[in-house]
Amino acid sequence: MNQFDSAAEVVAPRRRSLGRRSSARIGETVWTFIRGRETAVALTLVLGIAALVRVWRIDAVGYNSDEAVYAGQGAAIAADPALKPFFPIFRAHPLLFQSFLSIGFHLGIGELFGRLAAAGVGVLTVLLVYRTGRLLFGSRAGIYSALVLALMPYHVLVTRQVLLDGPMTLFATLVLYFIVRFGLTRRPGWLYAAGAAMGLTLLAKEPGILLLGALYAFFALSPEVRVRARELTLSLAAMILVIAPYPLSLSLAGGAHTGRSYLVWQLFRRPNHTLAFYPVTVTQAVGVTVVLAAAFGLWFAHRRWSWRERLLLSWILFPACFFELWPVKGYQYLLPISPPLAILAGRALTLLPVWLARVRLEERRARFLAAAAVGVVVVSLAVPTWTAISPATGSTFLAGTGGVPGGREAGRWIKQHVPVGAVLMTIGPSMANIVQFYGHRKAYGLSVSPNPLHRNPSYDPVENPDLQIRHSNLQYLVWDAFSADRTPFFSRKLLRYADRYNGRIVHVASVPAHDRSGRRTTPVIVIYEVRP
Amino acid sequence: MTRFVTLLVLAALTLAVSSAHAAGHGRDADQIATTTPIKHVIYLMQENHSFDNYFGTYPGASGVPNGICMPRRPGQPQLGCVRPFHIGNRAVRDLSHSQKTFRREFRGGRMDGFVSAFGHGDSISMGHYDDRDIPFYWNIADRYVLFDRFFTSAAGGSVWNHLYWVTGTPGNWRDDVIPPGGFGRLPTIFDRLDAKRIPWKFYVQNYDPTVTFRQRGSGDRGSQVVWVPLLDYARFLDDPRLFGRIVDLEQFYDDLAHNRLPAVSYIAPSGASEHPPGSIQAGERFVRTLITALMRSPAWKSTAFVWTYDDWGGWYDHIRPPRIDQMGYGFRAPALLVSAYARRGYVDSTTLDFTSLLKFVEENWRLQPLAERDRKANSIATAFDFTASPRPAEFTPPIRAVPAKPEPRRSIIYVAYTFAALAAGLVITGAALASRRRREAEAEAEAGAEVAS
Repeated sequence: MNQFDSAAEVVAPRRRSLGRRSSARIGETVWTFIRGRETAVALTLVLGIAALVRVWRIDAVGYNSDEAVYAGQGAAIAADPALKPFFPIFRAHPLLFQSFLSIGFHLGIGELFGRLAAAGVGVLTVLLVYRTGRLLFGSRAGIYSALVLALMPYHVLVTRQVLLDGPMTLFATLVLYFIVRFGLTRRPGWLYAAGAAMGLTLLAKEPGILLLGALYAFFALSPEVRVRARELTLSLAAMILVIAPYPLSLSLAGGAHTGRSYLVWQLFRRPNHTLAFYPVTVTQAVGVTVVLAAAFGLWFAHRRWSWRERLLLSWILFPACFFELWPVKGYQYLLPISPPLAILAGRALTLLPVWLARVRLEERRARFLAAAAVGVVVVSLAVPTWTAISPATGSTFLAGTGGVPGGREAGRWIKQHVPVGAVLMTIGPSMANIVQFYGHRKAYGLSVSPNPLHRNPSYDPVENPDLQIRHSNLQYLVWDAFSADRTPFFSRKLLRYADRYNGRIVHVASVPAHDRSGRRTTPVIVIYEVRP
Repeated sequence: MTRFVTLLVLAALTLAVSSAHAAGHGRDADQIATTTPIKHVIYLMQENHSFDNYFGTYPGASGVPNGICMPRRPGQPQLGCVRPFHIGNRAVRDLSHSQKTFRREFRGGRMDGFVSAFGHGDSISMGHYDDRDIPFYWNIADRYVLFDRFFTSAAGGSVWNHLYWVTGTPGNWRDDVIPPGGFGRLPTIFDRLDAKRIPWKFYVQNYDPTVTFRQRGSGDRGSQVVWVPLLDYARFLDDPRLFGRIVDLEQFYDDLAHNRLPAVSYIAPSGASEHPPGSIQAGERFVRTLITALMRSPAWKSTAFVWTYDDWGGWYDHIRPPRIDQMGYGFRAPALLVSAYARRGYVDSTTLDFTSLLKFVEENWRLQPLAERDRKANSIATAFDFTASPRPAEFTPPIRAVPAKPEPRRSIIYVAYTFAALAAGLVITGAALASRRRREAEAEAEAGAEVAS
């Protein structure tokens, strides 16, 4: 052994002990930092999780039809030369979120900006749920509520998309938060703030007006939360002040007629789903364990019900009942009920140890079971959320559940290979919107009715497709598996046109899939060239 | 024995030559050296319209002069005159467009017989169309090239002019008819192409291979032999290889789709020729379908598509045709070029005729001229801009531009929603501040009460 070796032997244990000491010191520092800040750390973790599941591979699949429309409106507001010919600014809804999306088009990052903005809205809603839950039932309930919403598949899926329901839910939750503050303090300022927030809710998406009904039910059922006529009037005035720019901008910028046409169309639309749609689909999307937990919490505390429970229940039941009866149903329409559901579930999780103690379970075991219940809820939400945010591999699609696989790729192929000025026909208007957004070419949906009463006023029907193809006014057909699954009749009709007019397949977009024959991909979008 | 060997050698030579030719037709047109970036030309011949009849009111082109009024009978002003007018929905007929009619209208260069040629009661020859009737053609002219000094090669009808289109000569110097024995050994542009193994095809709409100069049949089908001059050559009919180059128009779409477009393509229409009184809109749709097919094929970036009209159809045209030989020129016909290299919205006033199309082929593929006419003709090359990169394909709309809708005032949207957000922010901030102040006041009051107690 030389002198260097012996020196190394002497130094090494010292270093090891120094290392041990320094890591212990770091651990102590971290623990000292966390102690007293457990809630803040937990909240940061929850918000981190919320952000992660909302932005994880957010751009892996292209826009769906609704996203294309809202982003297209944003592009039209930004006067994007490539998209404004295809997307009118004024359609069915107010333009608060679309105006915000237009910033992305000014910056040249429209598509990603839209999705990130939606995800940001989702994370903000999680934060608001924490604040509301904490005010109502304490910090722990706030954290649990935020965790439930952060992982709830329903909220995650919708706030990963450029839809108006995410912002509407954010502002609706803000209303809820201000009402809670009003309920706790009785200070009228919070009622005015709630009025202003309600205005923003309506500017995000006008069905938010249903929550006025929920508020009416709450105040009617909660005499202990008294509202004076003067306070109510001022609150409504605040709401009207915030909403006023919408009709004003419509009339001044030239879109008043469009708004009226949409109202007429919405009132006479045919039912698109059965009555079982919401009970089955939304319950699954919200999470069965969440619904069970919320129900348990309500049952357990039913003797101590106060305005708190009535507020949350009104917020859930009024829109749920309305949309159950309303003939037109959309997957994301019930999103505003997800925050109060999350709060009820989060509160129930805090009640669990109390209930377990009441059934005389040993304290350690009760604590373990309560923690296990939280774990079960978290896992039951995390697993379907993770599955749902992984790129889809199927050839069926429910509107509002995510992007359309292959749509962006097909659209980009069209933009690159189909001459400018070409006109395409798709099975329905949904794919037409995607083609227009990514392909920058005019597309018509075959299923759009020539009867103005039976079609969305934004869509133009193809009058006599045979004649249009014969006159070379229509040069391409786009078949897609998703529309074909919804409307086999129009799918067959489109394929007949392809057959009749020398249809030649020029592009196929496929998604990874496995079937019995062992195929690895399945075609979801097929583009045909047609000619007379 | 010697005779047998000679026969064997001849047979081998024939086989070798024909295989070489066959191989030539399998050549990729894109690989053949050319003097310009154009690797494919497509020539379409429509029927019977003068330049003024289609583009007489086109801005920037040499169109109908102001104040023109055609005498009903030259030298008899008391009978009045006819001004050019928009035809609109008026019924038209097949006006005579023979050499005799040309002379009656031309009147020794006085150009005042366009009404009297048909009897002074009939003035339809002074009618014209415009962008209300042929919007697609006008849109093409706006985006590509319109030739306004493109003369029909012969002051006569279809046979002569079609022959100029493929041979640079009238074919039959005496009459505007197909000789009973066909055109014999008169060389065509296709012979020149064949000799250099450059692929070509003659596409015929609704092609009936049984209708030839030998068996013309009766009725409209018989025009096929006028519009497809190769069917008037025994050597093209009897050589299966050459005859196989005359194909139905369906093959054109197929060749485009599979990137097999030959270097030189001639197209003859059938029902969609625009020959009066046929529908000009049907012809316009036909041309649009051809251009659409071309634009979506890979050949677009190296192709020149030219369509013109075989004669003036008896219609008025105000330009006196230059006299270059005993056959012509005849009155002007519309002619347009569509190509990735075409100048944009350009009116080309170079003096041209059908042999100018031959000239371009000959120059582009370095071929010998066929006759005196094409040797002396100007080429259509002036209509191209080869210094620019090829234009991407862009479908031309079938309607004239509709007045743009007023743009929504976008600034109002931003102002309105910014105001809404600010108003909401102010109310909420006010509520929060008021709440804090009240909380502080309450805390102070509580502290005061504690001190007092």
